[in-house]
Parts: sequence; structure tokens; C-alpha cells
Amino acid sequence: MSFLTRTGYSFAKNTILSTSLRSISTTKQLRLKELREHKEGSSLVVEGVTVPSPRTELLIRAVNHQENPHQCKDTCYMCALNLDVKHTDVLILSQFVRTDGCMLPRRITGLCQRQQKKIGKLVTMAQKAGLMINLTPAYCHKDPKKRYGFKKFNTYFDEKTIFMKRIPKPTDRFER
Amino acid sequence: MSAAKRVQQWATFARTWHIFDCKWQDPYQSAEVIKKYLMGLHKPIYHSMNDCGDVVVCINSREIALRGNDWRQRAYFHHTGYPGGATWTLAWEVHNKDPTMIIKKAVYKAMRGNLQRRHTMQRLLIYPGEEIPEDIIQNVSNQIRQLRLVPTRLDHISEEEVKKFPKVMDYPQDYVLK
Repeated sequence: MSFLTRTGYSFAKNTILSTSLRSISTTKQLRLKELREHKEGSSLVVEGVTVPSPRTELLIRAVNHQENPHQCKDTCYMCALNLDVKHTDVLILSQFVRTDGCMLPRRITGLCQRQQKKIGKLVTMAQKAGLMINLTPAYCHKDPKKRYGFKKFNTYFDEKTIFMKRIPKPTDRFER
Repeated sequence: MSAAKRVQQWATFARTWHIFDCKWQDPYQSAEVIKKYLMGLHKPIYHSMNDCGDVVVCINSREIALRGNDWRQRAYFHHTGYPGGATWTLAWEVHNKDPTMIIKKAVYKAMRGNLQRRHTMQRLLIYPGEEIPEDIIQNVSNQIRQLRLVPTRLDHISEEEVKKFPKVMDYPQDYVLK
């Protein structure tokens, strides 16, 4: 029902407010882009340049996940890799993070729900321990020892505290 | 007694000096290890009536790491003895006042309360920084292994190394790099 109303609404909207903007494109326009700004005389030019991903050459995938990702038992690449990631592994955790230290959303990381939650918590732990202090907003004081009160002392975290309850895996619900 | 046996006797009963670097170490976990060296529990000749404990020098006690939210949740109790004389001080306040106090109390608590405990504590030397007096460092002949790895900060790793490190996550096709 909702689908029908939505299509009807969009059809009516398109007929009334017809614009030249098309949502369907015939060419492949989705590519990794980079915004570049430069000045030509007095005018500022902002252009989106398609760039190759800097990570594809260094990318690591589990063998069975790489060969047939749809038939693999593990739904996401982190589950298939089966890495024991600690909150001190900043070289791994910094890949899931924006330049201001925010966790990237799931539509970009492509993780399963459980892994996204786990990595997000590990990132929080690393940030609180002051291990990724260069990935913070610009207004942040970059030295963790100059933080206020109890935050200036070293803190470590136990990864066992991430999932205190046993969360059932999404696959074994209807399995017989 | 032959000369070799005599030297063996001296070596057995001599006090060894150990050094322990507290940087990024949990004081309550490392107290269990320090205690063994202080009391001499690591020696085969150990007996509770036998004075065979060693000396442990703890350095960098200012850099200890507590777990999770322990800095603001752990309270240290003190009572002056007068009515209303009870105080509860948080761990980070104690550490602000005296950076050697937490590790000292942790080792003290790890040992059983008997008459030997205060004498054993005399053999524990704690320094907040890396500087130790010369007459103490020259006695040290052993280092106790740290329990936890000291973590590396991302800004202390060179940019090249970060770029070359194998990647797990790749951006989707329509992502705009920033």
C-alpha cells in the first residue's frame, strides 16, 4: 500500500513540477570522487574529479570471501577475515574513520551490523585512550596529557566488555 | 665448605634488584607480579620464615593505565579516627597528589596482612619518572617483563607506514573523498 501511495505521489509530483533533472542516468556516473578547489583569476573553481581508490592495491580479503562472496558463510569481510582486533590496533581502526575521527556509517564501511557495532566501540576506546589523537576535529587539543581532570591519565580498555550479552547471529534463527 | 659452594651460598641468599617499568601497566595486575619478587616467592628456597625477598624498583609510575572508567570510579578510603573523619578520594585525585601512591597501595593490598608486610614494602622503591638515583640503578641486575604492550599512538607512526599498511576497508564506488 505504501509503495502504491509513494509511486502515485512521485508521479503526481513529476507531472506538476517537471524539471530537467533525471534520476536515471544512461552512463556510469558513480565513481570515487575527490573535490578539488582552485582559483582561476578571480573565480573559484570547484570540480569533482574521479580518482582511483588508493586502497584497492593494498586490500586484504579472506580467500573464500573473495572467490564467491555471496555463497560465503560470513556475510561481511571482517567476519570472514576473523581478525582479533584490539583497540590498540590504530592502523586498522583508522581505516573506518573520517578525518575528524567519526565512525563511517554502515553504507560506506559495508560491514555487518555486529561488526559495525564492534568496530565503532573499538574506535571509541582508541579515541578515549588518546591513541588516534590526530584524527580529531580541528578545535581539539592534540595532546592527551593536557586533557581535563581524570582524562589526562592513561586508560586501557578490555575488549571483552564490548558484547556483554551473547547476541544470536542473524543466520541461526531459522536454521534447522 | 669449598670456595665454589660458598659463592653459591652467597648468590642464593643475596638480594637481587629488579626493575619494573610501569608505563601503560595496570597497577593491580602488575602488583600480583611485583609481590612475588618482593616476597621471594619466585625462588625455590622460599619459606615464610626465610628472609629471601628481593628489591623491586618501579619506574614511570606516573604513566600507569587504569582500566575503563576506573580513574573516576575507584575511590580510596581514609579515616582520620575522629567522628566524621572519613574521606573517599577518587583514583585520579590520588594520582594527582602523589603519582606513586596507587601502585604502592596496590602492592600493599596484594600481600597478606601479617607482620612481614610492612618490612617487605620497605624493599619496594617507586619513582614517578624515569630518573632514578645513581646508587640505586647500579644495583639493578634484572628487569621484570611488562604485562601489557605499550600502545603506539597513530600520530607517532610515520605517514608512509600508515599508507603502506594493508587495508581492510575500501571505499564504495560513489564515495566522495575528503
